[in-house]
Amino acid sequence: MATEIRIPKIGISMTEATLSEWLVADGAAVEAGTPLYAIEMDKSTNEVDAPASGTLKILGEVGEVYEVGTLVATIE
Amino acid sequence: MTGDTAAEPDRSVLLDIYRRANLIYQADEKFRTMIMGGQLQIIYYSPRGQEILSAALMAALNPDDYLVTTYRGVHDQLAKGIPPRDLWAEFAGKKTGTCKGKGGPMHITHPETGVMVTTGIVGSGLPIANGLALASQLEGDGKVTVVCFGDAASNIGAFHESLNMAQIWKLPVIFVCQNNLYGEHTPQAMSTGAKELIDRAPGYGIKGVQVNGNDAFAMYQAASEAAARARAGEGPTFIEAKTFRFFGHLLGDDSHYIPKEEMAAAKLADPIPGYRKALLERQVSEAELDAIDAEIAEVVAEAAAHALASDYPDTDEIRIDVLGMEIAA
Repeated sequence: MATEIRIPKIGISMTEATLSEWLVADGAAVEAGTPLYAIEMDKSTNEVDAPASGTLKILGEVGEVYEVGTLVATIE
Repeated sequence: MTGDTAAEPDRSVLLDIYRRANLIYQADEKFRTMIMGGQLQIIYYSPRGQEILSAALMAALNPDDYLVTTYRGVHDQLAKGIPPRDLWAEFAGKKTGTCKGKGGPMHITHPETGVMVTTGIVGSGLPIANGLALASQLEGDGKVTVVCFGDAASNIGAFHESLNMAQIWKLPVIFVCQNNLYGEHTPQAMSTGAKELIDRAPGYGIKGVQVNGNDAFAMYQAASEAAARARAGEGPTFIEAKTFRFFGHLLGDDSHYIPKEEMAAAKLADPIPGYRKALLERQVSEAELDAIDAEIAEVVAEAAAHALASDYPDTDEIRIDVLGMEIAA
């Protein structure tokens, strides 16, 4: 089953974030617990670790602003 | 700090502490994975680093003793015994939760396991704990009330009033300051005049104990002695339990205000592998601990799946459980 990667809520007033960088290439293998992508909000940048291991399928684009909960990738 | 003169707790207690600490550890890891994966959208305060403190403290209590904790208290709530699936559902705001999904992580309440209230206001739990302890004293039910709070809460007026009143009335209460050295993003030295929080105890004539909260043996001993004092009618104890937290005040906090060397040293002294090692040195086998880990992994996975699969409460529910009598539609 694919693991969905959604924009996390990691701030009390956070409702959206800018997807600033993918740290793993589309189609590449990722390992659970290693940095997957970076998001920017409220003047801070956070790296988000992969919650599962597998092959990354990127859906979200760098530079776009996404609401919390938006699907931006899957790991199969 | 308390001495190591007392006899060690027996094997069943040591494993009980391990079990409680490991439940906190694995539940925290699952919460963080789900939140960072966007599956769960909640504000979350990771207890990573403070597991042993809670586990040893709660293992020293009776199941029906009272607990008052804070919104930064998922470790206390799990260690006190709230069924993980009920707690998890409440965190997710689902109707199968401890407060039917209407309290959320800030207001975990579960009287069946003695978790009487979780407060969202810093320092507000202490007077409530005095009230519970006074009720126990009047009814003579033999229960002890424990209230957990952070280092910065000791600067709130209610802390001082509560210690004073509890001492005057010899209330069966244990004030446990989980001193992780930072109040939100502020180091203790910038918010607190006293060098050591324990130094405040003599000012109120209250028995004070400073302990390494990350040392299961010292923490269990301090909590056991305080509970025995309370049950014997000898009054309250103030325990300052030193600890540390690895994931900031709340998830998303990058801990930039914590010196890198301080964080590195704290992680090197991580109490979870430390306690496992201590048990292995006491003739507990790897296989025995691995079996506990595996059993808890199943409990945590089931709790998380149950929370995700449960429904949200109906909007109509907002009128119910607020007052003693339901309000008509």
